[in-house]
Amino acid sequence: MIRVKTHRTEQLARLIAALPPPPWGWVAAAQELPVHRRNLDELLVRAQSDAALRARLIENLESALVESGITPTPPILEAARAQLRPD
Amino acid sequence: MSHLSTGEGAALTDAELVGRCRSGDAAAWNLLVERFSRYVYAIASQGFRLTAHDAEDVFQDVFAKVYEHLERLRDDTAIRPWIAQLTRRTCIDRLRAAQDVPQENLEPPDVEDLLSTLDDALSVRAALETLPAPCREILDRFFARDESYAVISEALDVPAGTVASRISRCLEKLKVAMEETVDDPRLVDG
Repeated sequence: MIRVKTHRTEQLARLIAALPPPPWGWVAAAQELPVHRRNLDELLVRAQSDAALRARLIENLESALVESGITPTPPILEAARAQLRPD
Repeated sequence: MSHLSTGEGAALTDAELVGRCRSGDAAAWNLLVERFSRYVYAIASQGFRLTAHDAEDVFQDVFAKVYEHLERLRDDTAIRPWIAQLTRRTCIDRLRAAQDVPQENLEPPDVEDLLSTLDDALSVRAALETLPAPCREILDRFFARDESYAVISEALDVPAGTVASRISRCLEKLKVAMEETVDDPRLVDG
């Protein structure tokens, strides 16, 4: 299947303009997601044997994550809350 | 960590990129985010007209879902429509949470037309990635970033009087690249 069938320069210009870039920080945050997920996993493993850390995470998750160098984006917070939730 | 140059990245099909992401290749993940970031942003901001704040949350949420569920994607060539669908659902969830109305009333009527345009735009962008860096840069700055001749002239250190002719020449190169690459699987994935 060929999606772009005609290639008038005006049409190409319009199609380039159809995809403006999102703010740079959004892209960077999404690219850092795997690193933050790994760091979050390590932090949560440590919290299993460190009662003070676990208490800090439960009391103020966002601050505790920032202190640990993890950017508390909504997906990271959601993943952390899901893992901290009592079974 | 591996590294992908712009040329290597542009040569990877969507399916190859997905395969490399699954194997934990950090550079491939960066490229996947870069390749689809404008697409997700356009659906959220142009298609669903979300505020910048909501669009940012949707953007991060979509890539988090892609990261988490990439293993579940049955057909690696289908990454683009999958991301489109994830973005639409995430936008609808966002609107539904704010407005408390049925899901069917939340999707703008022209969203299908926009998606079709954005699919074409992604194909053009893939061809753009095959052009020399100065052409990529000047076309992106002028058309996608809406920068003026003066700003482009200063940023790229080229005489202001030549910006228009360079844009015109680069558009012609892009036109040729599109004609040469219509059979390229990179442009027809999904």
